[in-house]
Amino acid sequence: MTMTLASGKARRFWKTMTGRSSSGPTISLVWSLPAVFFMLAFFLFPLADNMIRSVGADGGWSFAPYKRLFFDPYYLEVLGVTLGFSFAVTLACLLVGYPVAYFMVRHAGRLYGLCIFFLVAPLLTSIIMRTFGWRVLLARQGFANAFMMEFGLIERPLNLLNGPVIALLATVQVLVPFMVLAITSSLQGVDRRLEESARLLGAGRASTFFRITAPLTLDGIGTGFILVFMLANGSFVTLLLLGGGSLQTFPLLIYQQINSTRDFVLAGAMSNVLLMSAVICLVIQARLLRRRGTKP
Amino acid sequence: MRKFVHRLSEDMPAWALRAFMLVFFVFLIAPIAIVVWMSFSAQSYIGFPIQSYSLRWFRRVVEYEPFLNSLIVSIKVAVLSTLFATAIGVPAALALARSRSKAADAIATFLVAPISMPLIVLGFALLFYLSTLGFGLSLLALLIAHSVVAVPYIVRTVIGVYRSQPADVEEAAMILGASRWQTFRYVTLPLVSPGIFAGALFAFLISLDNLPISFFFGSPETSTLPVILLSYTENQFDPSIAAVSTVQMLLALATLFVVDRIFGIRNIGAPT
Repeated sequence: MTMTLASGKARRFWKTMTGRSSSGPTISLVWSLPAVFFMLAFFLFPLADNMIRSVGADGGWSFAPYKRLFFDPYYLEVLGVTLGFSFAVTLACLLVGYPVAYFMVRHAGRLYGLCIFFLVAPLLTSIIMRTFGWRVLLARQGFANAFMMEFGLIERPLNLLNGPVIALLATVQVLVPFMVLAITSSLQGVDRRLEESARLLGAGRASTFFRITAPLTLDGIGTGFILVFMLANGSFVTLLLLGGGSLQTFPLLIYQQINSTRDFVLAGAMSNVLLMSAVICLVIQARLLRRRGTKP
Repeated sequence: MRKFVHRLSEDMPAWALRAFMLVFFVFLIAPIAIVVWMSFSAQSYIGFPIQSYSLRWFRRVVEYEPFLNSLIVSIKVAVLSTLFATAIGVPAALALARSRSKAADAIATFLVAPISMPLIVLGFALLFYLSTLGFGLSLLALLIAHSVVAVPYIVRTVIGVYRSQPADVEEAAMILGASRWQTFRYVTLPLVSPGIFAGALFAFLISLDNLPISFFFGSPETSTLPVILLSYTENQFDPSIAAVSTVQMLLALATLFVVDRIFGIRNIGAPT
């Protein structure tokens, strides 16, 4: 009794002395300076430098590359494809990922850990390995064709590779775990009694889901959506190796500019457009997080 | 009977969901499993059914110089950039986690920001910036670039773990007479060490697989494994890629296993 009293007193004393409420001994912010300087020098400055470089041609200001990106029909289409492809990937991830997250939280029970393992394990493999895997599965002498011919489903190998659909599938395969993890974390916070009440009051399965469960997990959906959209916006490996040139996006064009065409001014402008789209996503994400009351 | 039919229709969604889960995990694992399977093939081409098995493609990993050299570069870069990022990231995270000031919040957001940038943008910007500074296509340039990507993962996980620990323990240590250093060394550090190792593990694995930054710095001395693999797959289609990928996957798995064995990984993959 006296001990607790004493420790309570001591703690109060400590709090008054330091003017803080139970945040422990703080380490001076000075310790963050090495990291801050490093990131200023090699993260912020390069991006700023790149931005200045893209508008400052020969001492004057020139927005020519941006004019090309936003007014030339070809590049306008590429911009549309970049955003459209990312959006399609994100939507597919949501449609595929939500039921998975729902199963994991509501039905998996003891299998939850196993599901997490299978979800996270692919993240340990390289993106090239997975893209390569799709090619092995779908190539002319690949697994799918051999399998279907063996069972007499087809007579001649089909050309399954190299198309927007395969590139989309492969990108979804890479990014869907992020969506599932974002949704499971918010689904875990949903009070099951709300769903049960809705059912008891006569709501069907579907209307319970769409009017109770889904709205309550909007935060997770939003976080996952923005995360996946951002990642899809910067990805190019699957499109490069599986798209077969059917889709041109900014990251893909940047890669090609570096490898062959070497129009660095245009590539710089494209990378800045990508950067802007990432910043917009970040701002939206920060809004979402603030509404939820959590810090990044 | 009627009751049975009713129950079946009630259970339908659950069964449909289970079937869906099965298809989903096949979709997730199949492209990886098939590569591992292919890597044991004895054929010189990719084709099914696989007639005979051998380890010849694994031997090629060791014999084909670009693969082995780039694997060594990859490991070197991953280890060094992770160590460096840990050295600057952990003190920053500890200083920022418990501070309530607006400035600390802003700094933390800034340090974590590169996670949300398309890496190809960062790689492009760094290439020109670093060559202006005279680093060019060196191992040092590659190390710097990978460290920029590694810092956020370490800062984020360490801040997350430190915030989830009650401050009372450290206060108790200090009230009982421990010096600041002693409190840090014997209380704070053990408290956050799982976070440090989880963050470092993330950083290491991400560096090992990093392509969008590494390919900008490609030269014979600075090509990492993913860069070599990309140019190889663009031109050739044989099982050696399967063998190298399998080796890389085993490397990642082994790292994960060792770190988990020694420290235990909580929070892996948990978005904060």
